[in-house]
Amino acid sequence: MTENIYQPMMMRIAEARDEAPEVRTLRLEFADPADRARFFEKYRVGMFGLYGVPGAGESTFCVASPPTRREYIECTFRRTGRVTAALADREVGQPVTFRGPYGNSFPVDEWRGKNVLFVAGGIALPPIRSVIWNVLDRRDEFGEVTILYGARTVADLVYKEELADWAARGDVKLVTTVDPGGETADWKGKIGFVPTVLEQAAPSSARAVALVCGPPIMIKFSLPVLVKLGFAPPDVYTTLENRMKCGLGHCGRCNVGSLFVCRDGPVFTLRQLQGMLTADL
Amino acid sequence: MQMIDAIRADAAKVLQEGRAKLVIGYRARGGHRGPVFLSDPAGAAALVYDDACKQNLAVYLRKPEVRARMPVAVVAPPAVMRSLVLLAAEAQLKGPEVVVLAVGDGVYHGVLDLAGVEALLKEKYAGLAPSPDLLRRIEELAAMTPEQRAAFWTAEFAKCTRCYACRAACPGCYCSRCIVEKNMPQWISTAAAEHGNYAWNVIRAFHLAGRCTLCGACEAACPQGIPLMLLNGMLAEDVARQFGAKPGYDREAKPVIGSWNPDDDQGFIR
Amino acid sequence: MMKVIDANKLSDLAAALAAKGYRVVAPVRDADAVRLKEWRPGQAIDTSAISINSAKEFFFPRTETIGRYALEGSEFKPEEVEPQAPRTVLLGVRPCDAAGLAVLDALFNWEYKDAFYNARRAATTVVALVCRTADEQCFCTSVGGAPDSVLGADAVLRSADGGARFILEPLSDKGKSLAADAGAALAEGKAAADPPAEVPVRFDSKAVTAWCGENFESPLWREVSLACLGCGACTHACITCHCFDIQDEGTRREAVRLRNWDTCGLALFTLHSAGHNPRPDQAARWRQRVMHKFRYFVERFGRLACTGCGRCGRLCPAALALSDVCREIEDASKAAAKK
Repeated sequence: MTENIYQPMMMRIAEARDEAPEVRTLRLEFADPADRARFFEKYRVGMFGLYGVPGAGESTFCVASPPTRREYIECTFRRTGRVTAALADREVGQPVTFRGPYGNSFPVDEWRGKNVLFVAGGIALPPIRSVIWNVLDRRDEFGEVTILYGARTVADLVYKEELADWAARGDVKLVTTVDPGGETADWKGKIGFVPTVLEQAAPSSARAVALVCGPPIMIKFSLPVLVKLGFAPPDVYTTLENRMKCGLGHCGRCNVGSLFVCRDGPVFTLRQLQGMLTADL
Repeated sequence: MQMIDAIRADAAKVLQEGRAKLVIGYRARGGHRGPVFLSDPAGAAALVYDDACKQNLAVYLRKPEVRARMPVAVVAPPAVMRSLVLLAAEAQLKGPEVVVLAVGDGVYHGVLDLAGVEALLKEKYAGLAPSPDLLRRIEELAAMTPEQRAAFWTAEFAKCTRCYACRAACPGCYCSRCIVEKNMPQWISTAAAEHGNYAWNVIRAFHLAGRCTLCGACEAACPQGIPLMLLNGMLAEDVARQFGAKPGYDREAKPVIGSWNPDDDQGFIR
Repeated sequence: MMKVIDANKLSDLAAALAAKGYRVVAPVRDADAVRLKEWRPGQAIDTSAISINSAKEFFFPRTETIGRYALEGSEFKPEEVEPQAPRTVLLGVRPCDAAGLAVLDALFNWEYKDAFYNARRAATTVVALVCRTADEQCFCTSVGGAPDSVLGADAVLRSADGGARFILEPLSDKGKSLAADAGAALAEGKAAADPPAEVPVRFDSKAVTAWCGENFESPLWREVSLACLGCGACTHACITCHCFDIQDEGTRREAVRLRNWDTCGLALFTLHSAGHNPRPDQAARWRQRVMHKFRYFVERFGRLACTGCGRCGRLCPAALALSDVCREIEDASKAAAKK
């Protein structure tokens, strides 16, 4: 029969890692090489998918790894309900389903020769991290790479090992921060909310693009800072989230005005956000 | 003065005097009746009241947008009054929050508070019972064999699309998270198919056992014409017979399903 | 020469088609309502009023299995799910239902082709019944439709000779096949078509679309939505409402992935797991309903997602009608223009 657009691909968990309390990363391999080939033909960084456990359901997360790494995909999520609990309880070697890639992507190729600033908060580092990896995997093509990442507490920082790797590289400027009160005795990073630290760090906007991803309140206060620093709205990127079910534009649930996060997003520029009915978000 | 003139005058008055910030009553929409929400005394002219006014307006007293504009005045026939008393008995409504423009049997009883409503119900409307027609149909159902009754309900529930209009229209359904919306575990199948439809409709009826005042709002709301009153009515009759309880008459009443009396019939324990 | 049939012989037409292997779906009387249902031999076909349910469920069912998995411990094996698409004739749906299919066709094929919907669509012959009467809730003529519209229909039944007969006019290849399959149930003859119902225009939908583009934050949304109880009666009854939920259910041995009708009227529709709800009150949800049908769908697909069947207004427990709200919007639009 004709293709069932809701038929997912079979994946196996190759690795699983607890990032933070209730936050888990799964590295998934495609059971069928033909699926993998088809996926990577379409996949560009920023796109998302629906990860599932039959009987529990499907949940939407970004693909947290870039197309420069073609043996697997990763996802990072917080355990909040029925589906994420079922996913989080899965062990290495067990299967999960995956549908995707859906949505639009970051125009990474357009940033060649430019400086790239990444600003992320809390559990929103995963979509940014896939772009960071993408850029670092092609490091020569880009100018300065700056990463500003913060979380509520030290424990809430995700990808802790990678943070150390990025700090150790000579070609990346990394600033990490925790909210006031979230520091531990041996915390060496900054203390302050991300928008505040961003303003203090004052990265240059010359020949630069910025990616911002975080809880709504963090984005709300970070965007004006970037504008103040001289970043032009078309050069500032973010990803939007909304409750999703089909992921492909039919179920009618993820729209922000007449735009669908699953179709016209999840990647949007600040210029686009300024023209959107963000009161519907 | 016609009854409706008195109602309109009082509606305007309670707004003018500040006894209520919002009046909820009925308006005409062609041959139908719908709710109207007035905050301007001049709008009272839109109020109507007749036998076609069947919607249970008490349901709006659980709506956040209405609660934000309390105290509220409600045009209330006996079924609505009983729902208000039920909500008060279940700690969902406080005295100062509502003022009632009480009507019934073609008579307008004036502006009452909840205490006055309770007294009026006990005095004039204590004998409220399901209509003879409903009682007859319930008896017919009860006389069926379990197989016949199952076939009856299977055919009726086949129409259910799980729109939850029955729940939305019922003043007694105010759970912030309905059982059908709980998914760890998913107690009731969300699919509009036999299994889930039986579970949904029967469980909703059970959750209203001892609480349903037989106002008929659920059946009137059902866009598929399912005779829900037969289900709720059967349970209400059982509760009245076994526990002597009729909800909606006493603000201090303990919920039948949540309380135990040593005199309760325990004959079903064998 | 036309194909004609006596008005009281429609069930013979149904029987003839059933004998040729069609599943016949037709309006029949059910207690005190007309319901679109699978026709059973011997049943009379009731064309006296619009059915309380729309034809939607025969293309986009209330619940549908879109995935099936055999479970064994932590392993699962996906199984093929075939769309259930028996050869069907919708015998006597109103033009507003047939026109609604154009909306569903566009949505269920938006970049991704929904095989479940398309299989049913391909397997179904739509015979529209021109309306001789309309009620105060009908508003097809306000949204670009008409009681004798043939949009979405493979054939059309027109009342003739003062209601004594029907003329069946095939429009598409499917309609022609159907007429041939009807055999002797249809006679060759001549009849004078009765005039269709008069449906006065109740509001200017272009004004509504325009106003919606400028008034996202209007206090009007809060006023019109006060009566709304937040159920799904209007959505489920609506021929064009297509929003759905995907839910997994099952046992220890088998899981099914279901696609169920959903409604933007419920708070749960857009609730994030983190607790944030983009549409936290009924005003925002009502705004979505109107915007989706009269603005967003127009922007994305070039057509209104409403055909004026009026079921929402007939069935709403709180007597809310989309046509009334559109009229209020048009009034607000005119009042603003005066200023």
